[in-house]
Amino acid sequence: MTPPLEKRGLLIFLLIIVIIAIVALAANRITGPLGIEERFSRAVGLPAPAEETGNGVFGFSVEGNPAAYGAVLGVLILLCLFLLRWRRKGNG
Amino acid sequence: MAHIHLPDGSFTLFWVAVWWICALALVGLALLWARRGKIDRRRITVAAFVATAAFAVFQVQVPLFGGVHLNLTPLVGILAGPLLGSLIVLVVNILSAAIGHGGWGLIGANVLVNFSEVLTAWLLWRGMGRVVPGLFPRAGIATFGGLFVGNLAMVGIILVSGIQGVTQSSSQILFGLSLLVAVNLGAAVLEAFITGFIIVYIGRLRPDLLEGRRP
Repeated sequence: MTPPLEKRGLLIFLLIIVIIAIVALAANRITGPLGIEERFSRAVGLPAPAEETGNGVFGFSVEGNPAAYGAVLGVLILLCLFLLRWRRKGNG
Repeated sequence: MAHIHLPDGSFTLFWVAVWWICALALVGLALLWARRGKIDRRRITVAAFVATAAFAVFQVQVPLFGGVHLNLTPLVGILAGPLLGSLIVLVVNILSAAIGHGGWGLIGANVLVNFSEVLTAWLLWRGMGRVVPGLFPRAGIATFGGLFVGNLAMVGIILVSGIQGVTQSSSQILFGLSLLVAVNLGAAVLEAFITGFIIVYIGRLRPDLLEGRRP
């Protein structure tokens, strides 16, 4: 019996997840838990970069300068709000 | 996800120039093509929103496998298409380098990597409409496909360019990068779920945003 298309799509998606999760866990076991830049440098044979002082919360941290990140993000959000108003004016 | 995290000076000046020229040519062609069709206010606004979301997420290191970051480039492809998507990945990469995430010399290469993700995700999203009608699995599979191709592009660019100052052979670099790609694809699981949920949410609230036919 052929499952409905919606279920078949979900099954394919879940199958991909299982396969990728197994491969990723195996690769992570080989390399060990490394930061992004450290993992990259080791992969190509460069010396590992100096470890950055953590600015993170619950393990989440900002790459680059957090103050600059906040400033750029703020400008982008303002730009989005401006464009939203511009778009609504165009509709009206 | 697929993003070349190497310091400036890793590629020779020649390859930095080659990837920059390719990226600028790509974005230029995309914008020329986009001018042929009508880019309305709605598409520009959506592009700005996904660019902002992509920039916001791009800089955040997630504590998975020791540290990864998401790209949201497949979401950019699905919502903005490859033409505006090319401009979005250029802007996000320039802003990322400006705040200290990634080298300036690698922006060209990273734009090409991210564009391959945008284009592949968009093609899969459009192509699977009849085969996989459910929004969640369709967006998830498009995300996996996009990120997989992005990782291949990343490996290809690094192998073609070579790394200055390393003694490893190409096969050793390929092995190291293969492990990196495998870990990256583990992070793609998280990105696929996030993209899937966002698309389902948009599909319920604003299905018209998912219906566009033009690239």
